[in-house]
Amino acid sequence: MSARVLKKLLAGVLLGLLLGLLCQNVAIAGLLTSKHNLSVSGPGTLKAASETQVCLFCHTPHNASPSAPLWNRRNPGGSYVPYASSTARALAGQPTGASLVCLSCHDGTIALGDVLSRTTPITMGGGTAMPAGASNLGTDLSDDHPVSINYTPALAAAHGGELADPSTLTGKVKLDANGQMQCTACHDPHDDKNAKFLVVANTASALCQTCHLKNYWSSSSHRLSSATWNGVGSNPWPHTTATTVADNACESCHRPHSAGGKQWLLNYGIEESNCYSCHNGNVAKKNLQAEFTGKASVHPVAITTGVHDAAEPGVVQNRHVECVDCHNPHAAVSASGALPGALAGVRGITAGGTEIKQVSAEYQVCYRCHADSNGKPTGRTTRQIVQNNTRMEFDTLNPSFHPVAGVGKNSNVPSLIAPWTTSSVMKCGDCHNNSAGPGAGGVGPKGPHGSNWAPLLERQYVTTDKTSESAANYALCYKCHNRSGFLKDGGAFSDHKKHVVEEKTPCNVCHDPHGVSSTQGNATNNSKLINFDTTVVKPNKSGILRFDSLGTNKGRCYLSCHGSNHNPFSY
Amino acid sequence: MKLTQLLSKAVVGAIMLIVTQLACAGTITGSAHDFSTSAWSGGRICVACHTPHKADTTISDAPLWNHTNSTAIYTLYSSPTLNATVAQPGGGSKLCLSCHDGTVAVNSFGGVAGTTMISAENKLGTNLKGSHPVGFTYDKALATADGSLHDPTTKTVTIGSGTQTRTGTLNAMLLYGGKMECDSCHDVHNTFTVGAKGTGLVKVDPSGSKICLACHNK
Repeated sequence: MSARVLKKLLAGVLLGLLLGLLCQNVAIAGLLTSKHNLSVSGPGTLKAASETQVCLFCHTPHNASPSAPLWNRRNPGGSYVPYASSTARALAGQPTGASLVCLSCHDGTIALGDVLSRTTPITMGGGTAMPAGASNLGTDLSDDHPVSINYTPALAAAHGGELADPSTLTGKVKLDANGQMQCTACHDPHDDKNAKFLVVANTASALCQTCHLKNYWSSSSHRLSSATWNGVGSNPWPHTTATTVADNACESCHRPHSAGGKQWLLNYGIEESNCYSCHNGNVAKKNLQAEFTGKASVHPVAITTGVHDAAEPGVVQNRHVECVDCHNPHAAVSASGALPGALAGVRGITAGGTEIKQVSAEYQVCYRCHADSNGKPTGRTTRQIVQNNTRMEFDTLNPSFHPVAGVGKNSNVPSLIAPWTTSSVMKCGDCHNNSAGPGAGGVGPKGPHGSNWAPLLERQYVTTDKTSESAANYALCYKCHNRSGFLKDGGAFSDHKKHVVEEKTPCNVCHDPHGVSSTQGNATNNSKLINFDTTVVKPNKSGILRFDSLGTNKGRCYLSCHGSNHNPFSY
Repeated sequence: MKLTQLLSKAVVGAIMLIVTQLACAGTITGSAHDFSTSAWSGGRICVACHTPHKADTTISDAPLWNHTNSTAIYTLYSSPTLNATVAQPGGGSKLCLSCHDGTVAVNSFGGVAGTTMISAENKLGTNLKGSHPVGFTYDKALATADGSLHDPTTKTVTIGSGTQTRTGTLNAMLLYGGKMECDSCHDVHNTFTVGAKGTGLVKVDPSGSKICLACHNK
């Protein structure tokens, strides 16, 4: 054979090989370039030592089991722990159909090379079975999105409009032939162009929202925000490649597999951690996480884990607080207003004690825990009339109350600082708020998350007897009630100065700031929020402890206080 | 040894390697279907399947058929995602099954019943549910409906190996009367095959699963 012939032959062989490779890549790039190509030509670290066949790892043309889709792997059988949650309407049983065949690799129990068509398993490089990691779901599927559930119209209806009717699933997201939701609803094992073998890219959670139609979501800041991570601290989105809140959408808080918080598939098992991952100053503008640490008074989100239950009743009985007890992350917006956007779409309890799905006033949120719940702590002040149900304290039928649930009773409150008037309605948050927030002249976040003044007060409110009067000590009251106005001689109660300045008696000793329930008090004895602190104010020598209102700017007291016997003292 | 000589030898070696790997396409002689070494064949290769005279014409277009036909009714492949309509195997597939369903002895031919049954390894049985479907029309419409099948009228494939290859559309190379049959993947006579004896007389290279991906656009 001459060298020239050899050259031609060699060139021909090389050309043929090159053409062959080109044709192969153009036609069938999808699967072959994905990690599901477990043959020696696969792109992943996990692949066969020498086996060249690709389809073989899952399919066989003969003696398949199960027959569809000509499956070539053993049934992992096994007993899986299915997903469960208190709000799920569908019971996920043992995996079936397509999900079960996926698990023949992805539960990590069967060697990847263990195929039915070979008597000896195919030798793999880089591990025999699926190694630990995101792709190995294990046999505990309770931290994974449920599969093999009957996705029926009834199921969709049971979710009250928050789950798409199965008849709408006509696109890439499909149910199986039995109407069950399987792994294949979200994943196409043959096509990795969307990464993670997703049937559609999950940017802005487009895939999730094919089925999950969350109330309020369309206008939610968590859907719309273009905020990004500033790179400080932990990555808020460790399991996605998206870089904005809007593009991460559902996945800012949830993950479909290996969820830290199994119920509701939350990123983290510690409830508030799901919020802190962005609300720590590194994504959202304000650092809410800092509000809950190192402050004298906080809503104690950190002391319970796993107590909050999305299915719990409106009136919380097992008292606890998590961020989601006051906020609806599917609904929250950054708007301010009479009802701040942070409280959008939050359920609550009305002044009448009825549960509502969407509050119209802030106090309705507070009433979930501070009204009819069992296990509330006793009041901070020992009073003549004991009441720690705030719904009772603020009832508009009461003889007196701070005007939270409606306009107040007293039309004569000359100390009010504009814009407050006697027809104003206030919010719990006007008193209970961040001591470093805008209400107190600070730059911290709004809301009663944490405060330097207990109980979560925006400003100082000293209740200890014999406190020297100062603008600072009663700053909370002086926010709305003009200090110089009512401390001067004369006025509505001309002896305010004598009591508060000279006798150093705190406001709280005579006044019960929330209100006095009509079930316990009356307009004569308990108007003007009078409900004495009985550790300071005692019955007089005749054994009487009572205030009588005698009309505008007139009244009398029967009591003994600071060594003075009033029997009665009239003004 | 001169460099050119060394190179020449290396090239010859490489070509020989390629030839020995691929050139298994050839003749029926020495293939899995060469029955001449079986005692019952009397040294004949073709007799189990073919006869020059008095052939069985029960199955239409059967090629001078000599083997006793199977009367089995088969359980067919089905899948909720299958768009094709699968019927009882016909044509070439039925001829294959006259041995491979395991109901008729391999040496039942010429009207004489034999006793040598096909090996368990090569027997499909009458339940074809676990086997790739055959006997269905594979046309452009099916490819469109399925979404991940190539159009058999335009997609080309090369069958065979070594010096015995043919290239053409799926329709021309793999389908029979527009249908997928056993002989879409297998060449019973070992003419256009790939791989050594015992690897299934397949017509397209299974490495890289080319045989699957010829039709399946994955």
